[in-house]
Amino acid sequence: MNGEGRSPRGRVIVDGVWKKFRRGERHDSLRDLIPNTARRLLGRRPDPLALQSNDFWALKDVSFEILPGQALGIIGHNGAGKSTLLKLLTRILRPTLGRIETTGRIGALIEIAAGFHPDLTGRENVFLQGAIMGMPSATIRKRFDEIVEFSGIGDFIDTPVKRYSSGMNARLGFSIAAHLEPDVLIIDEVLSVGDLSFQERAFGRMQEVVRSGIPVAVVSHQLDRVRTLCTDAILLSSGEIVQRGTAEECIASYVQAAAAERPKNLAAIPGFSFGTITIVGEEHIRSGDRRLLRLTGHRDDAAAETKRFELSFQLRSLESGQVVYRTWSHHHGEGVTDAGFFELEVDLQFNLPPGLYSIETWAGDAERDERLGDGPSMRIVVEGGPKFHGKAQLNPIITLRQGCATDSSG
Amino acid sequence: MSAPAAPPTEYRDSHTILGDIRESVVDLLGHRELLMQLTLRDIKLRYKQAVMGFAWAILMPILVVLAGLVVNLAMSHLSGKPLSSRGMSGVAVKALPWSFFVGAVGFASNSLITNQNLVSKVFFPREVLPLSSVFAQGFDSGVGAIALALVLPFFGATFSPALLWVVPLVLLLVVFTTAVCLFLACTNLFYRDVKYIVQVLLTFGIFFTPVLFEPAMLGGKAGELIMLNPLAPILEGFRLAVVEGHNLLVALPAPAGGGAGALWSPWYLAWSTVAAFLGLILSVSLFRRLSFLFAEFV
Repeated sequence: MNGEGRSPRGRVIVDGVWKKFRRGERHDSLRDLIPNTARRLLGRRPDPLALQSNDFWALKDVSFEILPGQALGIIGHNGAGKSTLLKLLTRILRPTLGRIETTGRIGALIEIAAGFHPDLTGRENVFLQGAIMGMPSATIRKRFDEIVEFSGIGDFIDTPVKRYSSGMNARLGFSIAAHLEPDVLIIDEVLSVGDLSFQERAFGRMQEVVRSGIPVAVVSHQLDRVRTLCTDAILLSSGEIVQRGTAEECIASYVQAAAAERPKNLAAIPGFSFGTITIVGEEHIRSGDRRLLRLTGHRDDAAAETKRFELSFQLRSLESGQVVYRTWSHHHGEGVTDAGFFELEVDLQFNLPPGLYSIETWAGDAERDERLGDGPSMRIVVEGGPKFHGKAQLNPIITLRQGCATDSSG
Repeated sequence: MSAPAAPPTEYRDSHTILGDIRESVVDLLGHRELLMQLTLRDIKLRYKQAVMGFAWAILMPILVVLAGLVVNLAMSHLSGKPLSSRGMSGVAVKALPWSFFVGAVGFASNSLITNQNLVSKVFFPREVLPLSSVFAQGFDSGVGAIALALVLPFFGATFSPALLWVVPLVLLLVVFTTAVCLFLACTNLFYRDVKYIVQVLLTFGIFFTPVLFEPAMLGGKAGELIMLNPLAPILEGFRLAVVEGHNLLVALPAPAGGGAGALWSPWYLAWSTVAAFLGLILSVSLFRRLSFLFAEFV
């Protein structure tokens, strides 16, 4: 997008925005027109804040601002209002209440191939889709070769799009969108388009755009991507902003809330109950440290239906939401078979990149391959330890020979 | 659901009809490339895989002319007057604008629905969708007009200054068709049964529009009445200007024995003009005011 040379003009202001939707079928037929008109003529203009029986607020009092140079991640679970918010930003929808101001040309990477017609060739569709996205055809002509090269479509550009694979379709769509030169960019869940190498290329392109200093709004469930791309974030839940801050903070609370939402039936295991989970000793963990975890509980009756309760635990990164490690006690030859209190001790080396993690536990029945119920969980912070970047500590032993007179490789 | 403590200001633009139109025009000028691309798309799609290619453009008018032949044969049989080539040229001249109207309305009234994907996912002035249908149909009719211009001289049509009337008549036809298309595209989106009504109206409209016959054939009152259909004076204008070489500012009395009504009066054309432009103004304004709801309802 090479926006470096231009002064950033874009700006996004969202001020007290409410958006009401109606559940269920919306297609009316003409016979509904008469009662509706009559109601309107009788002056019963509905109060915009009143909710009819089928109405619900998709967004409630949402306010934020995206300044030039800011990239705002919008995160939240499905149905939190993210897509509605983006549609309001792109002016596809209009808020029920409140004010949205966007200055400059908006480039929207939502449904990047929406305008494609299957019977037209790739070339024809580039011009069509470009026009739909608001690109002057002179610009498309000028950047046509770049677009095709970026997409990797090659000679297929003169083939009707209906013969394309869905990946090719999406790649071409993304390439067109990536060559827009907008003043404000809005990205919705398009970072997972194409194969891995294309994803990297697409992501690199988006990083370039963010660095070019225009305001950017990003919706994605790929939390890693959001964290890398975004300077700020808001967390939406049921249409309300529940947190705003750095991308890291918001992602952590989002994942934590999502983890807390998982069904927990602590008391529901017949003849079995959990106690606590603790870290023995120093709670301050540096990357690479060893710590002892202790999980306690009680088995009531040795003759219960479940002969052997297996204990399991996992570590989940609260920044990406991914489980980084999981194991079962029976993999290590253990299981709770005797009545009475038990205590499981796990000596762990935290070979993890610095960050926020949660330790989650549960009990299961290995014989019936059944997860019986969740145990206690806790949050830990792993701080920077021995230097390593990436996701796995490979504990290298490094030997360097130098100043040798001969080449030892031959 | 909690209501806000202090209700914020309501989102509402206080538009005037003139404001709507100005906004519409400015938006369309800004998106003329999109309008062009969508029109091109519609044209390409029609010709791309069609067996008949450009013959497609004249199929409908030819069918209308054949229907006119049947009707006029029957009438000449009943009245004992011979079938005139002039009468048939008249039907041919009116068949083309009628096909344009029917085709444009047919495509445009569904344009917002068939492009649902675009309407609900991309922002652009929604007017371009019905307009591109009208323009694509205009291209078809242009091809038909060339074919007609090549054929007409063989049926005794001659050049006359009255031919210049074709220019304002085409303009009037496009304005009226656009008005109808915008209105129907927009109502069809909210009320899905509109498209069935449109189908029925287009099918039977040919009986209430003087395409296959001339208003004078209906006799006095009925002939005048049918001129209330805003399309009627436009079509008759085409016929009189092209086939009869008649200056449309001059009124024509009804033929002897045809009753009291005039066959042509400039007032008919004035009525069409008022109806077309007023219709366009109202439909543009309506379309504008409702277009922010399209993405939600489509």
